[in-house]
Amino acid sequence: MKTKYINWLIYAVLMVVVVTWLGWGKPNKIIGMFFVSGLAVGSLYALGGIGLVVLFRATGVLNFANGAAGAAGVMTAWQFGQWGVWAPLTWAACILVALLISLFYGRMIAPLLAWREPVVKAVATLGFALIILGLVSFLWIDDPRSISLPTDKIGIKLLGLRVTATRMIVFLSTIGLVIAIYLFLGQTKIGLNMRALANDRDLSALIGIPILKVETIAWGLSGLIAGFTGLMFGDLIRLEPTVITFMVIPSIAAAICGRLDNLVVVLVGGLSMGVIESLLTLSPVLKGARPIAPFVIASLVLLWSQRGTQLTFGGRD
Amino acid sequence: MKKLNIMLSATVGFIGVAMAGQAAAAPSCGSNTGEAATGEPIIVGGIHGNAAPGDFSASTDAAAAYFSCVNANGGINGRPIDYRVENDQWNPELASQAAAKLVDDAGAVALVGNGSFMEMAVNAGTYAKANVMVMASACAISECFESSNIVSTNQGPLPSNLGATQYAQEELGATNVACIGLNIPNNGPWSCQPSIDLMKARGGDGSMALLNPGAPDVNSALLESIANGADTILMNLPAGLAIAVLKAAEEQDLRDSYNWIAPTPLYDLSVPEALGEYWDGKVWVNAELAPFHLNGADAQNWLAVMDSYANPNDPRDTFAQSGYLSARFFTDTMLAMDPAEVGDRAKVTDAIKSIKGLTSDLMCGPYYVGDSDFHMPNHAGYMLQMVGGGFKVVRDCYEFDSAYFEPHIALEKKLGLR
Repeated sequence: MKTKYINWLIYAVLMVVVVTWLGWGKPNKIIGMFFVSGLAVGSLYALGGIGLVVLFRATGVLNFANGAAGAAGVMTAWQFGQWGVWAPLTWAACILVALLISLFYGRMIAPLLAWREPVVKAVATLGFALIILGLVSFLWIDDPRSISLPTDKIGIKLLGLRVTATRMIVFLSTIGLVIAIYLFLGQTKIGLNMRALANDRDLSALIGIPILKVETIAWGLSGLIAGFTGLMFGDLIRLEPTVITFMVIPSIAAAICGRLDNLVVVLVGGLSMGVIESLLTLSPVLKGARPIAPFVIASLVLLWSQRGTQLTFGGRD
Repeated sequence: MKKLNIMLSATVGFIGVAMAGQAAAAPSCGSNTGEAATGEPIIVGGIHGNAAPGDFSASTDAAAAYFSCVNANGGINGRPIDYRVENDQWNPELASQAAAKLVDDAGAVALVGNGSFMEMAVNAGTYAKANVMVMASACAISECFESSNIVSTNQGPLPSNLGATQYAQEELGATNVACIGLNIPNNGPWSCQPSIDLMKARGGDGSMALLNPGAPDVNSALLESIANGADTILMNLPAGLAIAVLKAAEEQDLRDSYNWIAPTPLYDLSVPEALGEYWDGKVWVNAELAPFHLNGADAQNWLAVMDSYANPNDPRDTFAQSGYLSARFFTDTMLAMDPAEVGDRAKVTDAIKSIKGLTSDLMCGPYYVGDSDFHMPNHAGYMLQMVGGGFKVVRDCYEFDSAYFEPHIALEKKLGLR
């Protein structure tokens, strides 16, 4: 417990040092704008990371196809919007498509790889992601597009930057999801089953846990989060399937921060990555390193937290 | 679904309307004999990039359509053009293989209609060594304009940025331009710097904010531009990224606080719809070739060729205009050669390097090549304002003012074009 508090203290001190260093000599208003902008991006990283961790904790699958499922969902929503479908139905379609894609993989493909190593399972989802991306790129040729939500029009000023209701929804949803999933895994029978499954699939089967049912629920939850994340990415980042598909990479960095287990650390890690990445823009020397910031941070967290202890990508191998 | 999307695309819809009044005209190609060429084929190559995240095949599609038309109308003195197209898939290794296949294995006399971010950087040296000319059409990087054996009908970002900056300085009161570009040395910094230099030469100031192509966060580049004191934001980006910047600006309600200008990539008729009413009348875009609604004779012929010989799904966009032009200029050059020499690569290269003063209403100035280490014949254009769900011309053909063009102007004088 003491080590835990020390780790959080070291984190807080490091963040203050990094923010002060990167913002040194800049007006507070400018630092504030970059800080808030970073939180907005970071909450998207965290949201993606949480979707990954939920599935990994229940099934042991690190799902690289989460972003592609979200991309397929949001492109469907855009298409329905072009056809004049009522906007809330298009959003529902986005989440439904991602859910179906996730369930398809979870029911049809994942069981075939259930006894393989975690790395094999992860690589299989990467292949699935590329297939989805190929199909989406075939259906929707490269063309300028955008999607907007009514909440984009509402906003408040925070540290000099206008923060829209959509960004606040993402931020609050991320925190809400962490709490909800924490309670779900800790307080419900399905949650208990999921934890048991993640711990030891063989033993769980022996004691009568309905593996297929529990895994299907996990894949469904993951699909719902992927659909919501895709819709938010499409609105707040870019409506480009490739970009949305590969947003899963910084999300994985956020998930790695939490060692694919601790949702609170995933949340804090994602937010910190967004803030540091944004503040690096203020450094003439380091701004070119912005794209690698999430991975450097994830590596440092991993090195720190793994000092002689457990594997993060372990399991049967 | 793909076809459906294309049909839904505003671009094609608009062109369709434009074509309705023009498609009746028969295309005019090459010798116009009306008889198919049956002699020994002349091999001509073309390389495009088509893979996620972008498709640059419009230029080779249009060149292929024009060559099909030429082949149906007598070819090159009775010899058909065997146009072979390769896709580099944005992969340097594939780009190198494609050039080797066309230049070394197939023995192409020239390459026409090339469009890529990649292959020119990889193959510029190969082309010079093999003494083969590339009449490219969709170029975006420095090697395409600063090499001995590549010449393009499109402008690329550098002149188009300059055109937009010049207009903003002269008409919109711009005093400090921030150029948001891609963090790719032979694209972003290369094409932003002359615009900054232009502003400084005119008593203003400028800066650049560079984005990683896959970066999710465009907000930081926008904030960086604002922090640099800009009053004008130049979005030197592919359309998708430029839209993301404008959406980030909309989120901050920055529309009326800055001038918003862009080079040609934002001249896409899907863009006004993607941006929505908020940006109506507030975005100015430079067009490197004639806007689609200006129906000059050659513009009409381009559409007639596309109608008769291209796939209905092939885009009718700026890169397609450019591909058509490269193919037409190449054909005109080949037809002017001694028929006995059209299969000889060295002679074809000499003939292409001798091109000067070819004109089209799709281009503002004359097309030329010349024997030099740089080629940028197209450095004049139009300025458009995004308004009413489309674009209107706010400045007709004008030449871009920059010290960068001093060697080009000297070459034009030497060739007697000025």
